[in-house]
Amino acid sequence: MAEIHLEQLAHSYAPDAPERVYALQPLDLTWQDGETYALLGPSGCGKTTMLNIISGLIRPSEGRVLFDGRDVTGEDTRRRNIAQVFQVPVIYRSMTVAQNLAFPLVCRGLPRARIRQRVGEIAELLGLSTFLKRPARELTADQKQLISLGRGLVREDVSAILLDEPLTVIDPQMKFELRKKLKQINEAAGVTMVLVTHDQNEAMTFARTVIVMNHGRIVQSGEPQELFECPATEYVGTFIGSPAMNFLATVPREGRREVPDLGLGLSVPKGEDARSGTWTLGFRPEHVFAEGDGWPLRGRIRRIWFEGVEQVLEVEAGETVFRAKLDHARVRTGESVELRIAPERLALYRDGQRVGAGYD
Amino acid sequence: MRTLYLALKYLAILLWSSFVVFPFLWALSTSFKTANGVTSGATYLPWVDYEPSLLGWESLFGGAGGINIFGPYLNSVIVTVSASVVSLVLGTLAAYGLSRFRFRAGFVKNGDITFFFISQRILPPIVLAMPFFLMLQTLGLLDTLPGLVIVYIALLLPIAVWVMVDFFNNVPRELDEMAWLDGCNPIQTFLRVILPNSLPGLVVAGMFCLIFGWNDFFFAFTLTFTNTQLLPVAIVSLNSSVTPWWALSAACLVSVAPLLLLAFLAERFLSRGNLAGAVR
Ligand SMILES: Nc1ncnc2c1ncn2[C@@H]1O[C@H](COP(=O)(O)OP(=O)(O)O)[C@@H](O)[C@H]1O
Ligand SMILES: [Mg+2]
Repeated sequence: MAEIHLEQLAHSYAPDAPERVYALQPLDLTWQDGETYALLGPSGCGKTTMLNIISGLIRPSEGRVLFDGRDVTGEDTRRRNIAQVFQVPVIYRSMTVAQNLAFPLVCRGLPRARIRQRVGEIAELLGLSTFLKRPARELTADQKQLISLGRGLVREDVSAILLDEPLTVIDPQMKFELRKKLKQINEAAGVTMVLVTHDQNEAMTFARTVIVMNHGRIVQSGEPQELFECPATEYVGTFIGSPAMNFLATVPREGRREVPDLGLGLSVPKGEDARSGTWTLGFRPEHVFAEGDGWPLRGRIRRIWFEGVEQVLEVEAGETVFRAKLDHARVRTGESVELRIAPERLALYRDGQRVGAGYD
Repeated sequence: MRTLYLALKYLAILLWSSFVVFPFLWALSTSFKTANGVTSGATYLPWVDYEPSLLGWESLFGGAGGINIFGPYLNSVIVTVSASVVSLVLGTLAAYGLSRFRFRAGFVKNGDITFFFISQRILPPIVLAMPFFLMLQTLGLLDTLPGLVIVYIALLLPIAVWVMVDFFNNVPRELDEMAWLDGCNPIQTFLRVILPNSLPGLVVAGMFCLIFGWNDFFFAFTLTFTNTQLLPVAIVSLNSSVTPWWALSAACLVSVAPLLLLAFLAERFLSRGNLAGAVR
């Protein structure tokens, strides 16, 4: 177990090219020992690259990797003692399920009895107990992924467990169970876990800290609640939450930016020029409510749909369209409504970056 | 529609297999003939068309005007098998290196080294005959089994490298990476993870080596005189002013038998699903 620090790290797959294209932009990042992290971002944003650099499968083209302050940048994968599970199941076809699970321990020369015990425990945990004697290649794709996962979990002394979208091939019910089990393992063994995913729900329910990436850059990192409440960029607001956050176009008016159709606006922070740049007013559909104190949002309902037990209203006011998520509003499509929002829930974004919120 | 399709399919298979099997049947039938049976037009069935005789088979086992096939047979087995085993071992190691590690010496890179191996087979054999002859002569290995084994390794190694490089290139790198993560060093990765997963490739490469080694006539002929005779040379020595078709047919069947057996076994092995991908 170790604290992992990425120092001035950057990676380019073609470092010799005249125009350097970074798969990972220069960044500094610390993974606290024993924490759960989710790495969230669209395909191709550099998540796998980051994990492979931590585990040593890739040498970063710039910067250092430190485990508890020790520089391991040049160290081989096998010496780093990292468990990693890939997106596609990787199994040793020539071995049985039990031999697959035992392999990382056999390689490290643990005593036989201990290996048997650990393999039994992990197989039990993943529901593979009845398959232990079967050749691994005969199992189904999701069972193979469980084997992959099991090989990652079987070692008790790993520095960190890196899970690279391991649950993609596994069906939703099982996924839920597995996430729970992973959390249990994290709590019981206190081992750092990094779960890569592009599923925001997975990220939000699994991790204490969620790191959102885009185009090889860390856009924001924080607790799930923080990311939800205060997205640092329009991108995070759109990526996290369903339906996506509302970002409404604004016009300048006396040091303020306002949404003309709603008569709603905020003063721009000191030192900012309200007339330059693209400004939007952002708020969460979840923060809109039907009755009570708050600024009014008037419009006509264009569309209504359900997400779980909640209703999503798509409301139009002139040129402006926004969404509201309500418990149960007795309204119909085409009706006019007056909804409310607390002013402190509003935030201004300039050129995609959060610059101020509420009354400030 | 389906019946028609099946009928056509089996018809095609039947035609093709008779095309393949017929020469063997013909050789089998000829091996029991005598001079009369061979020259009196096409005859097919023993006892019906012609009177069978064991003359051809006897001439393989020390019969009149024939040879004793045991010695050359054993020689061929020794040379082919040992050269194939050595080529397979060295070739597999070389191929894994070429597939997984990056080599560079000036402008020479992995692809060039692989091509260098294959280029050995592009040369017409006749070009190699003289150098081989002189080298073996200098080493005192002309007309000996070790000499032939060395030459055959030079001939078979490129085949093994070629087949195995292609095979390893298709083994996903994730398998190696997984083994590193699990704590293997490069040699353990190769021996414990990659090699057990490479049986199909080894079988194919081994087949090629055995077939090419077994079938070679040119070097067996040019690099031996009388002491060390390999099977193809012995068979040709059966020939005389009157071509003994019966003896040649029998010899041909005897010499092709182990390859048939090998092909059969390999086919059974590969069709057991051992060729499927290593990941997923
Ligand atoms: N082996 C490679 N060679 C060159 N480019 C690569 C390689 N692997 C990934 N990339 C590029 O690096 C970027 C990040 O990829 P990756 O880390 O796999 O993203 P993610 O895992 O988030 O989907 C992508 O633009 C991808 O095309
Ligand atoms: Mg990826």
